[in-house]
Amino acid sequence: MKRTIFLTIVTIVLAAFFLVTDGFADDSGGEIVYKSVTFSHKSHVDGMGFDCETCHDGIFEMEAGSMVASPDFSMDSIYNGEFCGACHDGSMAFASDDDCTTCHTRPGGDILYFKPVKSVLFSHAVHTEAFGCESCHTGMFKMEALAAQENDDFTMESLYQGEYCGACHDGSTAFASDTQCATCHLGVKGYNRMQGGEQANQSGH
Amino acid sequence: MRDKIKQIRSRDNEGIENISVEERRHFLKMGLAVTGVFCGGTIISAVSAVNKVYASAGEYAAKYPYKPHYSMVIHVDRCVDCELCMQACVKTNHVPDYGYRTTILERDVPDAVGQKREFIPVLCNQCNLPQCTRVCPTRATYKNKENGIVMMDISKCIGCLTCQMGCPYNARYFSEEIHAVDKCDFCYKSRLSKGEKISACAEACPAGVRIFGDLSDPSSPVYNRVHQLEKAVWVMRPEAGTRPNIYYTKG
Repeated sequence: MKRTIFLTIVTIVLAAFFLVTDGFADDSGGEIVYKSVTFSHKSHVDGMGFDCETCHDGIFEMEAGSMVASPDFSMDSIYNGEFCGACHDGSMAFASDDDCTTCHTRPGGDILYFKPVKSVLFSHAVHTEAFGCESCHTGMFKMEALAAQENDDFTMESLYQGEYCGACHDGSTAFASDTQCATCHLGVKGYNRMQGGEQANQSGH
Repeated sequence: MRDKIKQIRSRDNEGIENISVEERRHFLKMGLAVTGVFCGGTIISAVSAVNKVYASAGEYAAKYPYKPHYSMVIHVDRCVDCELCMQACVKTNHVPDYGYRTTILERDVPDAVGQKREFIPVLCNQCNLPQCTRVCPTRATYKNKENGIVMMDISKCIGCLTCQMGCPYNARYFSEEIHAVDKCDFCYKSRLSKGEKISACAEACPAGVRIFGDLSDPSSPVYNRVHQLEKAVWVMRPEAGTRPNIYYTKG
């Protein structure tokens, strides 16, 4: 028992020590992860030679993840020169509608489609076990959550023709899209559950 | 053997009213119809439903107790709980938010192979032997003699809720607005009586789950779905013995 307590204390002290010293070692903010995007301070500061004021002068707050609170933190804003788009405009740095995977390095989480019907859950976690980003994100799906459901042809009929999910869910690569409906379709009940879950999480912060 | 058959034929038919719906369906699935019960129910006489009892399939169909004999076949595996049927029902029949005329049940089976969830649409089964009408003390709820729809005469309802307890399908709610029990009437008041051919829920379904029609009409889409042997067709809670008119199938 005493031995366990001693080991725990040692572990905590060591962890704290490494955390603090690591913080001193990298004074440029480290990596910021937002959903599927990883922003590396290192590559921008060391690699490009920018200083803090280049970005932390009205474009980004200095608090990690603070831009998430901004209602217009979206690809559209970025295309309009906000946030990352201030530099990623195609002249100063590669355009933000180009080279998606340079920044979007992580799987995109769960996508809950609610058009044309509520609701369909796409899990990046499940699909990236076997496939890379480019398996789907080369023309089939935009790298923008829920973009597909804005298309008029985002229907089961298109899937049966091999479009969208139907490209793989054809009965040979993966189960056919006219079978196992409720594997992907969560319904209104599932939608409310997911939304309720997210709201519950948000209120927890 | 032949003597035995003669012997049975000479006996009094004890009536087929008390044959359970399960048993009846069992025979119907074999292409047989129950024509008699003998010897205290130990011998059930059954003959080919189509060719022997009736001269043709048409005549067989004409033996349904109602004309039209409204029915719904639910392709349960096609349901994705989009609830457009429920929305259409609420809009068409002004259903209050504390009640429902149709709803979707959800069943989760985490250990299942493949699909682990299923959605099951439910509504009033418009039973041939409804318990609700049997227990209603004022006959406010009754079986329409022409089309077999279980209806409400709101002016007679005293709100005792006995029908709710009698219903094996939980298909009734008390409407505070009309101060009476209300229920699905296959959209008779809102649509069928005005010339529409199918219920609002059947029309709203984008996945072809709810097939509405006349079980006695060979040209109706429900007819072939029920009168066939290849694919299983079942009813909810057959043990209640109410002879429901909502059939379920897959595929």
